[in-house]
Amino acid sequence: MSLFLAELKRSWIQLSRYASEVIGGVVGTTIIFYGLFLSTRYIAGPGFQFGDRLDGIIVGYVLWALMLFILGDIAGGLQQEARTGTLEQLFLSSYSAPVVFLMRAFASLLLNLIINLSILALIMVLTGSQLSFPPTLFPPLLTVLLGAYGISFAMGSLALILKQVQQLLNVFQFALLFLFTLPVETWTGSLRVIGWILPMAPGAGLMRDVMARGLDLNWQTWLIALLNGICYFSLGIFLFRWSEKTAKRQGKLSGY
Amino acid sequence: MLILEASHLQKNYRSQGKTVAAVRDVSLNIAEKEVLAFLGPNGAGKTTSIKMIAGLILPDAGQVRIVGRDPHRDACARRSIGAVLEGNRNVYWRLTPEENLTYFGVLRGLSQRTAHQRAKTLLERFELTEKRRSLVQTLSRGMQQKLAIAVALIHDPQLLLLDEPTLGLDVEATQSVKRLVREIAAEGRAILLTTHQLDIAEELSDRVAIINGGEVVVEEPTTELIRQFSNAAYTIELEHALDSVRLDKISRLDVVIKHEKIYVNQLKLVYEILEIVRPLPFVQVVKDQASLEEIFLKLVQENRMKC
Repeated sequence: MSLFLAELKRSWIQLSRYASEVIGGVVGTTIIFYGLFLSTRYIAGPGFQFGDRLDGIIVGYVLWALMLFILGDIAGGLQQEARTGTLEQLFLSSYSAPVVFLMRAFASLLLNLIINLSILALIMVLTGSQLSFPPTLFPPLLTVLLGAYGISFAMGSLALILKQVQQLLNVFQFALLFLFTLPVETWTGSLRVIGWILPMAPGAGLMRDVMARGLDLNWQTWLIALLNGICYFSLGIFLFRWSEKTAKRQGKLSGY
Repeated sequence: MLILEASHLQKNYRSQGKTVAAVRDVSLNIAEKEVLAFLGPNGAGKTTSIKMIAGLILPDAGQVRIVGRDPHRDACARRSIGAVLEGNRNVYWRLTPEENLTYFGVLRGLSQRTAHQRAKTLLERFELTEKRRSLVQTLSRGMQQKLAIAVALIHDPQLLLLDEPTLGLDVEATQSVKRLVREIAAEGRAILLTTHQLDIAEELSDRVAIINGGEVVVEEPTTELIRQFSNAAYTIELEHALDSVRLDKISRLDVVIKHEKIYVNQLKLVYEILEIVRPLPFVQVVKDQASLEEIFLKLVQENRMKC
């Protein structure tokens, strides 16, 4: 608990002291979406009605933005710490490295959620979207977060071993955008199974159902989404532990 | 009581299909209140050895014990280590000294309250209280280095690893760091110090270990090492050059005279010369001592020739 509070304080200090970076992130992310929205409306013509498709895309986009913040915290943070020379001090902690980074990620989750809600509110105002926020959005959000942390830890593992993964992270961001906006919840047959396996996709689909389409939460699908989240989370932690050992064996914890 | 016991450490790396031996055989012991200067040329294996001791690099062979515990297997062992690593900032530049100390205190297992109290004490001791709320990036290099040492001490470790702690510091900051190192050792901690500034190593260390080509080539108490490499020779320095009578008398002895200096290789001759020069004023009589720098260069070059 002490570590969580220390991480929360550290994240808050850095966020508040460098608020311009956060505001830039919120405004930038919103402008990109608004630009895409205006372009699509221009192509479709003035009479076109987006309906719940727009709401669905907004949910996917905001989840993507949340994912990027989490990825930035873990994989981006690792690269940053290796570059500035504080990474080895973290590995000298009596807590294990996954615990330190997990606490760090949980501590900044609250702040990331607030930032994401700001992006969501801005997008809703700009596009006139009518998303609903029932309490049932939280269980699928949990599954998405589990997957997001898992993927971030997996990318963090790459950062530990390879160090220079910024280009890879940039490309990966677009793959994630594709993943979050895919309407896997509408897929049928064997495609549906693929939709269940893709990271975070079943949870994102359920969120679109409850927030954009106003549907009740399908608990059976939620169990699949939860399993999906747990699997990716466990895989991420496993890879992170493996890469920590490998980096220590190869003497690659520091150095850029 | 031995704080650090590292025995027969080895580390090889694979590079472009070849195996490169970074550390071949390093064994080091440090007791409480002891400063061991760990010296060696660039690429000799110092940093790899230090990181193996800290638990940051896994050795291929050999073992490390810190207060009897293995830092590679036992997380508690890491609580006994404080480290300031060369080339690293070691602290967060976007935080203040107070925030850094408190954060790292918790990271090293202290409660928030204890970390805060320890931070206050260390800020005072390291003369950083006035700057406790300034961002680290605005502090001088000397202050940043003092903060890095304070952070390494926040959890009261028994072993302190200092990799080039005075690198890039001005004279005043160097003096300050030297004073702190002496004080920290006197408290009962063991200190492993690496530096290329051999005068500092000579001044601060109780023992010296010299590593070359991944192997420790010598490990001795500093004074003993200097004694071994020093000659039984003396220099008598006079205030003025000798007059012809005295010059003639002294020239008959087995000595070398250069202007105001007389070089003597036997102690008994020193007294004879002093009798002859009486009552002329002299500046000093000095026993020639090898410096750590001379010893270091000699040993490293000898080792290179063997290879």
